Amino acid sequence: MTRLISNDAEAVAFLTELISIPSFSGQERGAVERFIGEMEMYGAAAEVDGAGNGVAAFGEGPHQLLLLGHIDTVPGIIPVRREGSLLYGRGAVDAKGPLAAMAMAAAQLGARPGWQIVVVGAVEEEAASSRGARYLLERYQPRYCIIGEPSTWSRITLGYKGRLLIDYTLEQPIGHTAGRESGGCEQAAAFWQNLLEYCRAYNHGLDVRFAMLDPSLRRMNSSDDGLTERVEMRIGMRLPPHAPLHELLAQLDIWRGEAELRTHGEEQAYIADKRTPLCAAFLAAIRTAGGQPAFVFKTGTSDMNVVGPLWNCPIAAYGPGDSALDHTPREHIDLREYLRSIEVIKAVLSRLTSAASPA
Amino acid sequence: MATAACPECAAEIELDADSVMVGEIIDCPDCGVELEVVNTHPLTLELAPEEEEDWGE
Repeated sequence: MTRLISNDAEAVAFLTELISIPSFSGQERGAVERFIGEMEMYGAAAEVDGAGNGVAAFGEGPHQLLLLGHIDTVPGIIPVRREGSLLYGRGAVDAKGPLAAMAMAAAQLGARPGWQIVVVGAVEEEAASSRGARYLLERYQPRYCIIGEPSTWSRITLGYKGRLLIDYTLEQPIGHTAGRESGGCEQAAAFWQNLLEYCRAYNHGLDVRFAMLDPSLRRMNSSDDGLTERVEMRIGMRLPPHAPLHELLAQLDIWRGEAELRTHGEEQAYIADKRTPLCAAFLAAIRTAGGQPAFVFKTGTSDMNVVGPLWNCPIAAYGPGDSALDHTPREHIDLREYLRSIEVIKAVLSRLTSAASPA
Repeated sequence: MATAACPECAAEIELDADSVMVGEIIDCPDCGVELEVVNTHPLTLELAPEEEEDWGE
């Protein structure tokens, strides 16, 4: 049965249900099926694609507008509960709230002549693989793309930093602690210290975090079997635009000594153009809804880093929620903001797909 | 064509109100500041939104 009319209660019920289904990266199927079911009720042609993404298409036409959210979350069960207008639960902000807002906006607007509006609930955005978004790369070439990530309802995200993960592993024969050889832990600490100093020098004089090299020591452990000691570290690097990656990798190779290094999860920083019909539509929609719009640059990464460089179309990230709550045990969304963001997205979609929209 | 004042330097800026879009960002030709077209009839310009920075995704 095709549902023609939605309302705020349905939008809230959909988000609440979506958050209630755990969907840690790699375990998204249940939430994807719920997403598909909801979209079909609104008349979309919906399916699970080859990567496991939930894909819902409204209308048909030569022009495509892609709303790319992600349906996976980081681990951690947060009991779903309401406190007034606040809805708590894992994924409420990052990023089932933004995904549900885009889905409800597209559903409420329905098919638009000459356009296909595609809503994707992608898998594995929170994993360094970004498997869901990569699957889409060669299969779509949208005219406009909106990434569903929290920006708060009155802001538009224009850029994300890049990322590099570094796994450090050192194995060596155990020496006497009174001897002259430095132990594995000391060598690992020296490697980390060299990296910190390199980043401090690079960041000197910079006053915005987006432009800085940001290292973080995510894991460190050591062990031995009485003969050989082993030290492991995982280091995450947040990369600014034009990061000196080649030079950094050469330095790492010098500092590692006998340790083995594995780098992975590399994403380049991405900055979207703000002088596009997409951003203009957002600015106008936010002002019309009574907001004071702002642009924002994020120190994390998103699927914009993956699809932005290849699709090379007007792109922006948008969605309700405070990204300071991402990945925290306090994750929650204000449902009033969620509903307001649906109206903004609807206005944006309507303007971009109207006959007066620039071809 | 229509004119509006730059809110930063008061320069008179002339634009084709039928071809610019509400929400479009332009540069003031005099002071270089970024401006947003917030209305086309009458032509109204405001300083373009600020750029902020946030943690997270």
